[in-house]
Amino acid sequence: MPKCVIDGKEVEFSAGENMVDVAKRAGIEIPVFCYHPGLTVVAQCRMCAVEVEKMPKLQTACSTPVADGMVIKTKSDKVKSHQKSVMEFLLVNHPLDCPICDKSGECDLQDTSYSYGDSNTRYTEERRTYLDLDMGPVIKKSMNRCIHCTRCIRFGDEIAGIREMVAIHRGNSTEISTIDGKPLETEYAGNYADICPTGSLTLKDFRFKKRVWFLKKTKTICEGCSRGCSVELHQDNNVIVRTIARENKEVNKYWICDEGRFHFNSVHNQHRIVAPVVEGSHSDWATAIHRLKTLSANQTVHVLIGTDLTNEEVSAIKMALPKASKTSVFSHFGTPGLTSAAKDEAADALLKRKSKTSNLHGVEKLGIAGFEKFDQSAGLVLVFSGGRAVLPDVSNLGKAKVIGVGVFTDEEAKTFAAVLPATTFAEKSGTIVNFMGIEQKLQAAIRPVGSSKQISEILMLWQNQQGSEGHSNG
Amino acid sequence: MLVKAKTSLTQRFYIFDIVKGLYITMKNMLFAKKVTIQFPEERRNYSNRYRGLHYIKATNGVENCTACMLCPTVCPAECIHIEAGERPDKEKYPVKFEIDVLRCCFCGMCEEACPKDAIKLSNIYEMTVTQRTIYEKDFLVEQRGSK
Ligand code: SF4
Ligand code: SF4
Ligand code: FES
Repeated sequence: MPKCVIDGKEVEFSAGENMVDVAKRAGIEIPVFCYHPGLTVVAQCRMCAVEVEKMPKLQTACSTPVADGMVIKTKSDKVKSHQKSVMEFLLVNHPLDCPICDKSGECDLQDTSYSYGDSNTRYTEERRTYLDLDMGPVIKKSMNRCIHCTRCIRFGDEIAGIREMVAIHRGNSTEISTIDGKPLETEYAGNYADICPTGSLTLKDFRFKKRVWFLKKTKTICEGCSRGCSVELHQDNNVIVRTIARENKEVNKYWICDEGRFHFNSVHNQHRIVAPVVEGSHSDWATAIHRLKTLSANQTVHVLIGTDLTNEEVSAIKMALPKASKTSVFSHFGTPGLTSAAKDEAADALLKRKSKTSNLHGVEKLGIAGFEKFDQSAGLVLVFSGGRAVLPDVSNLGKAKVIGVGVFTDEEAKTFAAVLPATTFAEKSGTIVNFMGIEQKLQAAIRPVGSSKQISEILMLWQNQQGSEGHSNG
Repeated sequence: MLVKAKTSLTQRFYIFDIVKGLYITMKNMLFAKKVTIQFPEERRNYSNRYRGLHYIKATNGVENCTACMLCPTVCPAECIHIEAGERPDKEKYPVKFEIDVLRCCFCGMCEEACPKDAIKLSNIYEMTVTQRTIYEKDFLVEQRGSK
């Protein structure tokens, strides 16, 4: 492998890699603004300039491929004074908005200015200001904070596949805007906020909700579709406030779609049932479990398994059911009109899949077939759901009763004999399998909301009450 | 065994000590300057650096605070609770600004952290209440301090 020397450290690299990536691997940070590993390189912010031996001028690290035997200095006086000047230039028009800016605390501009810039400003003239047009429901624009790195323009062009952000005017009056000031159209708009190195593009949904340094972060997987993008859930006080994308080269690179990004809102949906319900009225766990037990004993049970459950949950259900009922039939449900994993295909050119639940492929691997129609002999239909799977119509089943275990809204559970509230993807840990067959791990970000319990716990309570008829304080 | 300390005759004859004690008492009672004051009627002047009850400074009737959350971040007693919002004349302002003064340890770090010169500790030190009080924004925004 060819080698180069960065700040006196010998580093191996493979041909074609740029200096920023190679240095990062060696634990040396080169400050960047316009460079993003998922986008093309434009080298226009000049922040990443480094000194290379035998080259007369500073070189931009993001656009220069490393060559064998290169000696690179990232901390020489020449580089440092260059970084200071670039920072000063970038901050000439940047407002001192940090106290009200949502990016503050995780802002590339703020961090870089702190580590590489000067704490004084020599600029006393009036700063450039813009009027902001509305950018649609996802993104809030504050053009005054923009440093013209054009990451957003490139994201639209290269990743989202839609040219909607452009740079208009020139030089000092350059403005980044949507074409004709129209709202954003892409279904991946949230990524604009993730990649913008300043607070110029921020999420409307997250606006002023929390300062970022209060957030506790959990690495987990999105359950929005069968791709299973890597995400990070951010919560404070057991309330999730946002989702951001996590780098995963195989699955989602650096991006997630808006549907997945805002899916966490369903966790705190005010219509979600978070305490046991029996025959339409609030109840306690003992009564609900007892109800489940009496309705299932000596019955044929049709078990509907949501494809948003984890492998562990599905296996536990499959193990528990034969003991609890006479006979049981299993089928899975999730996306209307999609009954088998073989029919799951790409829903757009970037990430989205047809299956709107995360574990269709895993559930099917566990030997459960897609739901077609209700078993006529069933006396009880038992629905297990993680809240994402779309229920088949259960309102008209004749004599069969319906019990829901999982996450349901008031509306969905109207005709249920009982609801035993369980957890959503954000409250449980487990394994899910995405459409490529990659096993990924869900990690609980918050404690179960209300008095909801894990499905495994509910199954345990249920079995502990077996054979103790009439006893209802479990 | 108890060893008795040897005392001299003058020591045992303690009338001299009584006179000495009486002298000190009389001197302080009749001639020394008083250190206490008649509190509600008389008040002391505290230094400007005294750290008493909080207030939020306002400029032209608009609170200086922009809800940047630096004071709840720095507060060691975690007694400040702020919720931010937006209104036409101000991009970010505190919709809710509550201080649980009973928890406060009057360290003054909030005042130090504030980039907007908004939260201040006044000279007010009379804070007795009969039930737990959480001071709300409306109360705090009044110009109550002397600084
Ligand atoms: S809005 Fe953000 S991403 Fe776009 S050019 Fe400006 S700083 Fe870069
Ligand atoms: S004085 Fe100290 S304890 Fe009291 S509110 Fe301010 S930071 Fe918190
Ligand atoms: S990061 Fe290299 S020039 Fe912008």
